Amino acid sequence: MNRVGLALKWFLFVWMMIVIWAAFMWIPSAQGFKGESSRIVFFHVPTAWVATLAFLVSCIASALYLWRREPKYDFGAAVSNGLGLLYAVLATVTGAIFAKIMWGAYWNWDPRQTSITILLLIYAAYFALRSAVADPEKRATLSAVYSILAFVTVPFLMFIVPRIYFSLHPDVITNADPDNSLDPAHLKVLLASLAGFTGLSVWLYSVGTRIEEIRHRRRQEVL
Amino acid sequence: MSRWLAEALAVAAKDLRAEFRTRVALNSLALFALTTLAAVSYTIGPYRLAEEDRPFLLSVLLWIVIFFAALAGLDRSFVKEEESHTAPLLRLAAAPTVVWAGKLLYNLVLIFVLMAMLAPLFCVLMGFEIAMPWRFVAVLAVGGYALAVITTIVAAIIAQALTRGALFSVLSLPLLLPLLIIVIEGTTAVATGDLASYTQSLRAIVAMAGAMTIVSAFLFPIVWRD
Repeated sequence: MNRVGLALKWFLFVWMMIVIWAAFMWIPSAQGFKGESSRIVFFHVPTAWVATLAFLVSCIASALYLWRREPKYDFGAAVSNGLGLLYAVLATVTGAIFAKIMWGAYWNWDPRQTSITILLLIYAAYFALRSAVADPEKRATLSAVYSILAFVTVPFLMFIVPRIYFSLHPDVITNADPDNSLDPAHLKVLLASLAGFTGLSVWLYSVGTRIEEIRHRRRQEVL
Repeated sequence: MSRWLAEALAVAAKDLRAEFRTRVALNSLALFALTTLAAVSYTIGPYRLAEEDRPFLLSVLLWIVIFFAALAGLDRSFVKEEESHTAPLLRLAAAPTVVWAGKLLYNLVLIFVLMAMLAPLFCVLMGFEIAMPWRFVAVLAVGGYALAVITTIVAAIIAQALTRGALFSVLSLPLLLPLLIIVIEGTTAVATGDLASYTQSLRAIVAMAGAMTIVSAFLFPIVWRD
């Protein structure tokens, strides 16, 4: 396992290096964007994707905890929400940089910016709840319930609110316009970056849960 | 089914009776709403806003008053049971879903009483003209229901935590924000008479209320059992 793990880590390192090189050097800058601003898509989209994935994993881990009542699922949910929060912040920051270049201001309460802000607030509230409950089992149960409730709002934020209001944000998920889609080279780098970021977050997730398990074991030794 | 409903009504009736003895929740809801309305009405009044901004800005103010008043009073439903140590008895006396439905009904009554008092007063004091009054009532009713569903489950969660007062707003507000955005859109639509936007918003509110109802009904027994 250790040797495989080490090999995977090195593979991930090389993979991400290639993705970064390709994003900045290999790909020509896309048409219709100011300067080099289009390159940020290779980092903005993967972070947003990984954040959504992390919230989904947390929702599943929370449901598993409520079903099986094993502490490891609670650690999974907490670590995953932490990662989701981190990636959501990164997606917000990269988005704001793009907004500054393309739309002239870092922040203009575009529906996408509104919904990610609410998402950040929800998952920050999750950690406020965790810190307010002392008993580990009760904390795990209550935060699992809140995590599932929070995930129910995600589709409304991601799909309904941006549809109601006019948005400047380029449409990614439901793009019907064939002229507006990515060309094959861009798509290749984007997919490679998505894979790289997913691998990176799987690794971070496994490190996080292992730390939580060690903490849990030490607490039990003290008691 | 009818027995389940009768028991839920009994839980709600018990809460309403206890509430009318002290009127803690009702007083804090009503006074919060009236004080905020007085402050808003005094500083803005009916003439300050430009004609084209009125429907939107007044909808925003109306819903902010309703939401914050709800946050000031609705956490009582479960905190009360824990503080007076009556929760264990309620656990023995009724099934979890019955308790959930009863508390939801109780919160609904509180919100509807608040709205029945606040909305007409707000329209009169702020000169808020509504093009489609019955559809305005529909937006208020469905929005109020969604508000009650979300605050009920969050109130059940925070009753188990240590710092209750502040935590209720911290946990509820982010979950309520998407709803707030949609109901404001719906209220603006009924004020201006925009039927298409009204239908779209109402659909989104109903979808959200439905999703939250189902998820709460499943999750409440887990929160309540411990």
